[in-house]
Amino acid sequence: MTLDCKGLSCPMPIMKVAKAMRDLSSGEVLEMLGTDPGTKSDMPSWCEKNGNELLSVEDLDGGVTRMLIKKG
Amino acid sequence: MANNKNNSALAGLFQTFFGKHWPVWVGGVTLGLLNILLFAIKSPWGASGGLNSWGENFYSLFGSAQVVPVFKSNYGMLVLLIMLGSFVGALFSKEFALRVPPKGEMVKGVIGGLLMAVGATVGIGCSIGSFFSGVPALSGGAIIFTIGMFAGVLISLKYLLWEMEHRPNWSSGKSYTYLAAQPDKGRWQVITGWIMVVLIAVVAYLYAGSDPVMSWFIIIAGLMGMICQRSRFCIVKSFRDPFMSGESQGSVGVIAGLLVSLIGFTAIKYFGIGAIGEGGLRAREMTWVFPHFWSRAIIGGFIFGLGMTVAGGCAVGTLWRMGEGQVKLWFAGIAFILMSPISTKFIVPAVDNILPQSARFKNFLPDYIGYDGAFFLVLGILLLWYVFVKWNERTGKFSAF
Repeated sequence: MTLDCKGLSCPMPIMKVAKAMRDLSSGEVLEMLGTDPGTKSDMPSWCEKNGNELLSVEDLDGGVTRMLIKKG
Repeated sequence: MANNKNNSALAGLFQTFFGKHWPVWVGGVTLGLLNILLFAIKSPWGASGGLNSWGENFYSLFGSAQVVPVFKSNYGMLVLLIMLGSFVGALFSKEFALRVPPKGEMVKGVIGGLLMAVGATVGIGCSIGSFFSGVPALSGGAIIFTIGMFAGVLISLKYLLWEMEHRPNWSSGKSYTYLAAQPDKGRWQVITGWIMVVLIAVVAYLYAGSDPVMSWFIIIAGLMGMICQRSRFCIVKSFRDPFMSGESQGSVGVIAGLLVSLIGFTAIKYFGIGAIGEGGLRAREMTWVFPHFWSRAIIGGFIFGLGMTVAGGCAVGTLWRMGEGQVKLWFAGIAFILMSPISTKFIVPAVDNILPQSARFKNFLPDYIGYDGAFFLVLGILLLWYVFVKWNERTGKFSAF
């Protein structure tokens, strides 16, 4: 599942991810595309706190960051 | 050889500052120290007054009203330099891009900006003047403003959570990103950053002869903007996150800054550092103690809290996010600037008509409970807040998700 958070600023990406994760079952992976630099510092601690695993953080072209989050 | 080593040492230093984000508490402590320096030179950090100055200057283009030109206003230049400092921080870390959000987000930016302007003019001060600076300035009104702001944040957060569940389309849709640095490229951003640094230094130097206070304000504000951008220092986050994600870093960063400022501000006021002439000592004590205790502070704080949460940035959070190219906050900032003089002219007098003078006066805490009492009261509040956010982070008792 892919969640488009491009153009959104804090706190919308985290709120959207939290909502999307509710619909996933344990082990499933969410792909998030975002452009807010803040998400890079917020997502690792949010994942750790909620028992999810941040599999990867990758900078793509056009200022887009792609994160893969595995539901714990 | 030696030259190469020096180069890599300098490159390493550059990476330390701009390679990744700083912990928020580092931002808080350094901002607290610079805030003490601003107070020592003239008066503490503030944002809404400077934004109001931009608004007044804008409206003066259409009328004959005499206003202080924004380039002669210390705080007008301060808010501009916060934005430019953040621009430099974003360029150096290749994080600058024009980020155009979906339409609904821009509408929220405007609404948030309008509410912040009303809150700041009614409450006399914003998240900086009446909170981050006002509380360490031992102002009773600032503590009341903070309580109002806190209530506003909670209600506004409830709204955001409702919107997320019931109106997810409002924050979805077409978005655009321009001028982003490509991975492993984007040297133009670093070069532009250096050009900006030189320009800021030249402007600061040009003021040095006639208005040295302004030179210092320009340099300090530029640093403050850069620090805010690198540490993502955000007053909204510090109030909101414990009740949203349960995170405490944002709050701890702000608490650290308040603690540093508390010590410095108390010393400046107690010893009357920088006091000039007869009555100067008292003027120093009453600096950043506004006539808003308690009614205007609580109403203004509440409206400001509503606005900053919808906008996703308080007065300074809006400025530094503008600097890194977040278009939602451009809408918030411009709405704030345009609304502030209107609110001062029409809404504030109406509010003052209703509220008795006895409910809007200057309350300097040491007048009632002494310097020691005021210091320990603020210190106690900070410690309580720290214990609460840490406990809540562990237990998740008050967090929404």
